[in-house]
Amino acid sequence: MAENKGLARAREIYQDRDKRAKELRAQGKRIIGYFCIYPPLEMITALEMVPYRILGDMTEAITEADAYLPTVVCPFLRSCFDIGLKGRYDFLDGFIGVHVCDECEKVAHLWRYYIKHPYTHFIDIPHTLHDASFEFFEAELNTFRKTLERFAGKELSPERLQGAISIHNEQRALVRELYELRKPDPPLLSGTETLEIMMALMSIPVGEGNQLLREVIKEVKERKDGPQKQSARLLIWGTPIDNVALLEMIEGCGSNVVMDDTCVGTRSYGPDVKPNEDALKAIAHRYLKDIRCPRTFKETGETYRADLENRFNYLKGYATGWNVNGVILQSIKYCDTHGYEVPAVKDYLEGLGLPVLFLEHEYTMVALAPLRTRVQAFLEMMG
Amino acid sequence: MATEEKKKAINRLAVVREFRALVDKMYLDGIEASRAGAPTAWAMVNWWQGDPILKAMDVVAIYPENYGAACAADGAAEAYLERCEAEGFPSHVCGYARNTLGYTTKMMELGEIPAEAPLGGMAKPVVLLSSGAFCDARYKWFQALGRYMDVPVWVLEFPTPGVKESALEGVYEYTIKFMVKELREFVSFMERLLGKKMDWDKLSEVVDNMEQVLRLWHEANELRKAVPCPMHSRDFWTCMVPCYYMSGEKESLELYRKLYDEVKQRVDGKIGAVADEKYRLFFAELPPWHSLRFFDTLAERGWNFVIESLYYHAPLPLDLEGVSDPLERIARYVHQVLAGRFPGALRAGEATTMVSGYLEWVRDYKCDGTMLHPLISCRSATFYLMHARDRLMESLKVPSLVVQGDIVDLRVFDQAQALNEAEAFVETMEHYRRVRKEEGLGW
Repeated sequence: MAENKGLARAREIYQDRDKRAKELRAQGKRIIGYFCIYPPLEMITALEMVPYRILGDMTEAITEADAYLPTVVCPFLRSCFDIGLKGRYDFLDGFIGVHVCDECEKVAHLWRYYIKHPYTHFIDIPHTLHDASFEFFEAELNTFRKTLERFAGKELSPERLQGAISIHNEQRALVRELYELRKPDPPLLSGTETLEIMMALMSIPVGEGNQLLREVIKEVKERKDGPQKQSARLLIWGTPIDNVALLEMIEGCGSNVVMDDTCVGTRSYGPDVKPNEDALKAIAHRYLKDIRCPRTFKETGETYRADLENRFNYLKGYATGWNVNGVILQSIKYCDTHGYEVPAVKDYLEGLGLPVLFLEHEYTMVALAPLRTRVQAFLEMMG
Repeated sequence: MATEEKKKAINRLAVVREFRALVDKMYLDGIEASRAGAPTAWAMVNWWQGDPILKAMDVVAIYPENYGAACAADGAAEAYLERCEAEGFPSHVCGYARNTLGYTTKMMELGEIPAEAPLGGMAKPVVLLSSGAFCDARYKWFQALGRYMDVPVWVLEFPTPGVKESALEGVYEYTIKFMVKELREFVSFMERLLGKKMDWDKLSEVVDNMEQVLRLWHEANELRKAVPCPMHSRDFWTCMVPCYYMSGEKESLELYRKLYDEVKQRVDGKIGAVADEKYRLFFAELPPWHSLRFFDTLAERGWNFVIESLYYHAPLPLDLEGVSDPLERIARYVHQVLAGRFPGALRAGEATTMVSGYLEWVRDYKCDGTMLHPLISCRSATFYLMHARDRLMESLKVPSLVVQGDIVDLRVFDQAQALNEAEAFVETMEHYRRVRKEEGLGW
């Protein structure tokens, strides 16, 4: 039984992510690992299994994965694969790979070849948002449902699925409530603390995550020891951040990270599954359309400006809602999905009058040190 | 005298000259079409998914990927790469993309095709036809071009099931259904853009031509299993271009017939592409376009490159009797690129059709070694190479020489070092020839 609560409990889980999953497994629960934020977690939860997000480890040198993957591949995925090869994901009963980016797709196939789990499934995801894309994705989710049911030994009934949707939507609502607490000046919790909470949520069952969130929200509303006021209120955009070191460095230079647009943050928890009698259709819609990730192609507008509005206008809401006055675009090296996006998103944000810094890093602790100077210079420039 | 000897090291097919002329004409057609006010498209290699539709609607397609290779071979790419990086794009993104982005920036600044652009350059298109096949760059890059020109983008979807999932009930059928629907949407999109209707009879003719081209190209490459191999990879890389970009043209069909006949003649006459074929090699993935004479030097040493990576080849033939809808024929042929290989991959227990394909071909083409060319800016083509290297050794006792390079950035490829390593690799190939014999592996 956990003794810590709230922020302390979130930190505890963040620091030892797989501890709770292993406890549950020992109690007979099945733990299903997944890449990225596109596998529908509701379907796993509905069958009384625990979804567990596979992440990397910036503190661990990549050694074994280099035998199988070129070094010019995304270091985050190389790290995930590396620690998988080293046995750190041996507690997973299942693995779900997805076609979100082509590297994630390919690592998923190698994962299944070299790291054995009792259950695996690969979900293909369209790149576009045409009607046919939604039909295809629903069909893919239906195929996924069948293999998941066979493994779970039970039916994924509509009632079970609607129940799981409710509880996951509840978590998303709680996360949005938590994010409201970053609006004040100073924010009531730091970017670092927020990341610890998000990663904790991705490591424990959704019900336990909801309880954690309620504790954290109550604690944070009442706290007197929150972040100090800083002139710089930053939004962080980009690739997965799964170690607090980057945000600690940025906040340590004298800023408050008040908002994010990453998959260990708003992209994952922003949109709900909308009510619909056909739960699979609703899930397909939420995951394919409502998740805002550059991997999905949004139709170009008639002009470049129209295209930027179509793709990025939600960032205006983040900037105004959270009173952001500067943006850091951060990208793990070799990420094409985000790399091609950088000039356009920069144009959009600068069009809003926001100063923008682009940082590219190699997903190692050592890689962060030289970035500090650039962040300091950026914050100075911001005044 | 030395230069002449080098040129003769590879016995190039006579028909290659005509292929080159056809490809050059493709670029000029694009320029002329644009000057005449006719619609042009910049298209990704789309594995025959979009090209027949463009052809049937009289849209001339221009291929920035191929143009990137042409710029690299011409020495013009470097300036475009630098310009692209100055625009804020990371230096690790695809060399072809950086070439195009840099080129486009310059073109739009000047208001015309840059004077120094090789092969007459690429005129501004009416549509950017991208593809979701095999790598993200192929739609993200065209999306990024919107920064420089207000041209609509269409993304052709290319479903990619897992090997295991491909065999599950209904997956093939709903995949084809998806592709057909998407193609119909694409046709509607083009009809609105051009203000004219699709000529379905013409499309059927174009698709028929395409199918014949693919079949001939497949059969010609099957002939390369012969010892000595009649056709070197250098000829493959030249002759693959019309198959991708001009499969709907009658001229292409004629050329592939000629090519097939010439290769067959060589097989019958036991004429090899290399005078003294000592070693047979498989090359993966894209070659160093800027340094193709490298292969001539190796040919002098008796190295014959007899086959290349799977996905640059025609798909396995398909019986489409009873399928009259040209869009469905296209969808089935395109998906056959993967679907034709899934059964082999499943039987072999392989992670991916690319690697199971390597294993089949190294065996079928009796390769003594593979040259693996990881491309620093093409992660998609590079991704499985280390895994393939291991599988080839475990399964077939065939060694691999890994030579790092890039598709466009010639600074990465160290030819002198590669040739040194190749010299040492000869012993390795000899050693594993003996090992294969001992293990009864057949060649």
